[in-house]
Amino acid sequence: MLLTSLLLIPFLGTLALLLWPGNPTPSRLRQITIGILAVQLAFSLATALAFDPAQVGLQLREQHSWLPGIGLDYALGVDGLSLPLVLINGALTLVSAVITRDISQRPRLYFAMLLLISGAVNGAFLADNLLLFFLFYELELIPLWLLISVWGGVNRAYAATKFLIFTAASGMLILGAFLGLALLTGQVDFSLTPVLSDRLAMGGQLWLLGALLIGFGIKIPLVPLHNWLPDAHTQASTPVSVLLAGVLLKLGTYGLLRFGLQLFPEAWERLAPALAIWAAVSVLYGSLAAIAQTDMKRMVAYSSVGHMGYVLLAAAANTPVSLLGAVFQMVSHGLISALLFLLVGIVYRKTGTRDLEVLRGLLNPERGLPLTGSLMTVAVMASAGLPGMAGFISEFLVFRGSITAFPLATLLSMVGSGLTAVYFLLLVNRAFFGRLAITPPSGDAVADARLDVQLAPVAPRETIPALALAAGVVLIGVWPHSLGRISEVATTALATLTTGSGGLG
Amino acid sequence: MPIIPADLVHANLSIDQEEVKRRLLASETLLTDSADHLLEVVGILESYGEVLDAYSINLIYQAEHQFLNPIPIFKYLDGDLSLGKIWRHLNHDRINFEYAEYCQKAMFWHATGGMDAYLDSEAFAENCRRIIAAKRRRDPLLAVLAPLFPGFLPELIRSAATTHALGQFWRVMSDLFLDLAAAERDGRVRDIPGVVAFIKDGLVAAAANPIHYGVTIGGEHFWVLPPEAGLTFLVDVAVPYVEAVFLRGMPFLGTVSFNAQAQQISPDQARFTYGALYADPLPSMGAGIPPSLLMQDMYRHLPPKLHQWYLQRTRGEGDVRVKICMSFQKSMFCVTNAAINGTMPHPLNSSDPAAQAANGAHAQAWAERLGIARTDCLAA
Amino acid sequence: MSDALPLPLQLIWLVPLYGFSGMLLSLPWATGWIKLNGPRPAAYLNLLVTLLAVLHGSLVIREIYALGPQHLDFPWFQAADLNLRIGFDLSLTNLAALELVTTMSLVCQVFALGYLDKEWSLARFYALVGFFEGAMAGVVLSSNLFMSYFLLEMLTLSTYLLVGFWYAQPLVVTAARDAFLTKRVGDVLLLMGVVTLSAWAGSMEFTDLYAWAGTARENQLISPLAGTLLGLGLIAGPMGKCAQFPMHLWLDEAMEGPNPASILRNSVVVTCGAIVLMKLMPVVALSPLATTVLLAVGTISALGGGLVAIAQVDLKRAFSYSTTSYLGLVFIAIALQKPGIALLLLFAHGLARALQFMSVGSIIATTNCQDLTELGGLGTRMPATAVAFLVGSAGLVGLLPLGGFWCYGLLVENLREVAPAIALIFLVTNSLAAANVTRVYRSVFLGPATPKTKRAPEVNWLMALPMVSLAVIVLLVPAIMQRIDPVPGIASFSLPVGLAVVASGLVGVLAGSLAPSDAFWSRSRRPTLRLLQDLLAYDFYTPEIYRRTIVRPVASLARLTRWFDITVVKGMVDGLGRLSLATAEGLRLTVSGQLQTYVLTVVLAVVVLLGSLQVLRGVS
Repeated sequence: MLLTSLLLIPFLGTLALLLWPGNPTPSRLRQITIGILAVQLAFSLATALAFDPAQVGLQLREQHSWLPGIGLDYALGVDGLSLPLVLINGALTLVSAVITRDISQRPRLYFAMLLLISGAVNGAFLADNLLLFFLFYELELIPLWLLISVWGGVNRAYAATKFLIFTAASGMLILGAFLGLALLTGQVDFSLTPVLSDRLAMGGQLWLLGALLIGFGIKIPLVPLHNWLPDAHTQASTPVSVLLAGVLLKLGTYGLLRFGLQLFPEAWERLAPALAIWAAVSVLYGSLAAIAQTDMKRMVAYSSVGHMGYVLLAAAANTPVSLLGAVFQMVSHGLISALLFLLVGIVYRKTGTRDLEVLRGLLNPERGLPLTGSLMTVAVMASAGLPGMAGFISEFLVFRGSITAFPLATLLSMVGSGLTAVYFLLLVNRAFFGRLAITPPSGDAVADARLDVQLAPVAPRETIPALALAAGVVLIGVWPHSLGRISEVATTALATLTTGSGGLG
Repeated sequence: MPIIPADLVHANLSIDQEEVKRRLLASETLLTDSADHLLEVVGILESYGEVLDAYSINLIYQAEHQFLNPIPIFKYLDGDLSLGKIWRHLNHDRINFEYAEYCQKAMFWHATGGMDAYLDSEAFAENCRRIIAAKRRRDPLLAVLAPLFPGFLPELIRSAATTHALGQFWRVMSDLFLDLAAAERDGRVRDIPGVVAFIKDGLVAAAANPIHYGVTIGGEHFWVLPPEAGLTFLVDVAVPYVEAVFLRGMPFLGTVSFNAQAQQISPDQARFTYGALYADPLPSMGAGIPPSLLMQDMYRHLPPKLHQWYLQRTRGEGDVRVKICMSFQKSMFCVTNAAINGTMPHPLNSSDPAAQAANGAHAQAWAERLGIARTDCLAA
Repeated sequence: MSDALPLPLQLIWLVPLYGFSGMLLSLPWATGWIKLNGPRPAAYLNLLVTLLAVLHGSLVIREIYALGPQHLDFPWFQAADLNLRIGFDLSLTNLAALELVTTMSLVCQVFALGYLDKEWSLARFYALVGFFEGAMAGVVLSSNLFMSYFLLEMLTLSTYLLVGFWYAQPLVVTAARDAFLTKRVGDVLLLMGVVTLSAWAGSMEFTDLYAWAGTARENQLISPLAGTLLGLGLIAGPMGKCAQFPMHLWLDEAMEGPNPASILRNSVVVTCGAIVLMKLMPVVALSPLATTVLLAVGTISALGGGLVAIAQVDLKRAFSYSTTSYLGLVFIAIALQKPGIALLLLFAHGLARALQFMSVGSIIATTNCQDLTELGGLGTRMPATAVAFLVGSAGLVGLLPLGGFWCYGLLVENLREVAPAIALIFLVTNSLAAANVTRVYRSVFLGPATPKTKRAPEVNWLMALPMVSLAVIVLLVPAIMQRIDPVPGIASFSLPVGLAVVASGLVGVLAGSLAPSDAFWSRSRRPTLRLLQDLLAYDFYTPEIYRRTIVRPVASLARLTRWFDITVVKGMVDGLGRLSLATAEGLRLTVSGQLQTYVLTVVLAVVVLLGSLQVLRGVS
């Protein structure tokens, strides 16, 4: 019942919010949501405690026949691949509820949608049935689309529509692949059976895997399927960006590992070299595009494109170390990008702009945002893979696991890691160093110096979530064992599904 | 196109040279007269007076009791070696005397005015010779170093002389600022012109005060700055102080590059504009901004009324020290204003054309320097 | 096994933690949490933990004298075939390096109390120095490549943060960025080497790596190309750390940071980089080409750095380029398999250079000026500073019998047979260094006082005392060197070699005293001389070369990507979007609140799904 509770808590919470009697204030609704999400996080942690890291395969399984006619079972289970992601989901949805402020427009719907997303994501990570996964995968889409299109920025309609079209296509491709697998193998119980694809000819396998790759590739997103992401991020509010980058993109990489790699090991091996190159292209493209951005949020969004490329590289290499690296990268990207978006959100709320051409000197101790700036430095350094923080160990595992299989792609990805430092240093040095100012780019220096900037102070409660995330980033960085012990068995098992490619390492 | 929220930026309120000159000759105050300004200036000068009191006592203590001490570990304790005082010192629960030394250094380094000229005189060299001879008899380290580095001890003695003179100067200023606060409480000073006039009167009254300094070595008294040197408060100490600290200042490591190839610092000290009237208050408490120490000291001595006033503005307690710096700059304009008025060659209402011309030249000289200062703080 | 070891050895893992704990202890003041009191307690706490580190280190040295070298390690992270450990190699050389690091850190921290006496962000400075010290202490003790890399990158980070200390100063903004990126280039290349080596050799322990390198050489496990790439990757990191051409620029830029940090950077940070290189050398030696590159880099750095140093008008930069030059000599010695002498040179250089930089700091503190052309006449008035400058310089240059002289003697003696040309390079570098210090001494300490040095009292005791103490240590360096490396002894070179070193030093001193000195912001009238002067003063135009070869291509590539992203990718998407305009419009309607439409869409989708599944089931 532990896993079901991870679904029931947010879903019942959604209902409770929608049906809450009277006319509760937004802050009351926020408190209720935070309460529910805290309970959910507690149950996620309980799941982690109940979880036996040494055991291979799914654990804490729950299985009930639901619609046997179409092969839809209510089957849940958790393993070392999904547990970290469930924990990240629990933590980050709580964070995004905490950092939500000033929701005056339809607050009831807003918080209900947050809870719905959280439940759907839990469901997708825990589903032990292809159709069930798909249902949750689609279920998460609706609330997110609403969150962007109702509470987004000026161009929200455009961004939300684009998001919807892309993600709907992603869903169609994934569903198509699942149906195709069932159709071609004749086994319609939609269980996660790795040997299933053996019954298919390589051509069929490649087609189905290709559909999954593009489907999940949109979600991750991989170049050139990434176009929806920067727009979605720039239009979404900060809490939604935190969720989107921290949790929802992981559905794509999780799907890639769980359904791409696990269901089609042979075809995967065939495609792996191309996937590695694709990963390197994604990494470099994302990093280079990020360098050219002047909107902080867009820059972070493109960095996401680059950093999710590492996961594809690790999946392509498919060695025990690289797959463990993939899990690490998912978790650390979740924490780091959430932290980055959160901090950019604070800057935006205080200054009204995210433009790197006008922001200067925010480190100013009295009038600027010094703590935000310090945390931003921590976050960008973590993202650039500086040791002592989560990014480094993740990247190290990915690279170490992939180098012998795909030396060139790995080395190119490392260049991308170097480029991360370039754009994030541009961000920190431009916006946080120098004299505090919001300067018109063409203004002369003397006049600029007289522009007297007055920013609202950052309350401690605004930075507490950021501090917590930063603490998580450092914790994994100095004590990677905390995460490694959860996932190692699962990733090793996953890597040994296929023969051969793991042995190169 | 970047978006700059309109409510975040304020217009540039600086005034130009012509306006400075006009205000000076029309006997208007540079600082706009307003109730807020009065509260700020009087309040900040009161806390400044408290701080200067401590600075002055310490500088005089250092010059008299730590004279040529090679390792003056307890130089900030004013001779009080109780455990409580040492603990407060270690916990940095104290006045930042480092800033007093910084001002002394600025004054000494810029080397202007009558006292500085005396430090290069033969009479002063003779004083030094006698002091060094007495010191060498007691201190073996100095006995070795003095002949090897002939400039070493005279330079330290010059520095000590400046230290003592600055201590004497601040003694007067501290009393004056505390009196000002009392006068405002009594209702004797009601507006900014009143403040400027009060300070001017104080400066004029102290103008001829003698400045002298002597040390005692082994029970024997030696003059460093003897009375016969004829040094006086206003021209020999106050004017160089204003020149060195209000106007020229020294470049801050936190805002100016010392890199020789970048050539950001003028080779001519007379062209420096790093002083209190030119400084940017915004980076206060940031890295490499020495006046932060003074802002902290004043913060710890804020009159409650002014503190309340700060709490109601911008970030309240969060940026209080920047606000202190802004008020401080305003009050320093008032002090400068008083000094300019006090040194005006003729009465402003004189109808004699020659007197008017002399006054005009005096005002013009100051306007040229203040026209590029941070006059944006003067508006209401 | 470690149970039997004495307690100080068992607790060796504490040594890097002293520095890191200093950082944590500073946080209440650095973050402004303590607002009413000043930041000095953070400084005192850091001094205390650094003192503990020094004492702990000396206890360990005593034990190691008795017990011989020890190795300790602790598991850190283990997964599949990857085993990352925290390992300490407790040999006398490593511990000597540790004592150098911690002692220098201690001395510097005392110096900083004086130099930064009016600095309100003192706590942040000390937090960073603590971080710096912890990372360096770990690097010199590290017994495995992974930990060394880990800590080297932390050094890069703390360099960035220390250079960026005065973050509001306009040149710092770019300097900190460039310092980080230059080092980062080296780090990424090193990471490539580390990752590859980890995959090939399995273990990351240096001893295992040496064994693997031996096997690889014998059995030709890796291709020559792979070996060369590996070697080049491995030397790139130390090249960056030691500010070697062409990655030397950061050290120049880093001079924008506070002087006490410059002291550490020019003495011990570069030493850490060189020590890591030394530890890597047996693996680098797999590739003859990498060794040759190392030699070439060292040679270019030694001569180029020496020449560029002479053309600098900035006091700090005149010596930072000299650091590049000396580390070039160390690189040459390492490339030619003379690690013992390289260590001695590092040791002598580290102490003497630190002393030199301290005296530079006190000059800046007194005169507010770094421009050599604006200084002069300080010699008679600043005894501690002048003595520190002279002793520091004498400790570097091969002329008087201090550290530098004996190192030059040993190196020339060892190389004159095998590589006479290299021996000559050493002598020329010595001349250049001697000329540099002499000309700087002339313009700073001799001659008449200038406006900016007219009033120049000696610095306060917190700066003077560390300078004098370090000067005494530098004078004792030959004796310490003799103890570190008693066989064959520091004087094991012939008289002619000694005379040659002295002669090269004398030539430099003469050249430095006779060359005309510059006036304020002026340049020579002779075009050829001016060209040469500018070429050297602007560091062979390296910044410009960087701009053209790296910065501009990356920027153009980034712009191209952006253009592609907007025009091609987004254009295509928008085109597709227009095709399905009806859908988009239909969906957009719901934005205005018509949730029902959406629910209807979803219901429809579910129906279609269920229907198709039924069909599917029928088929199977």
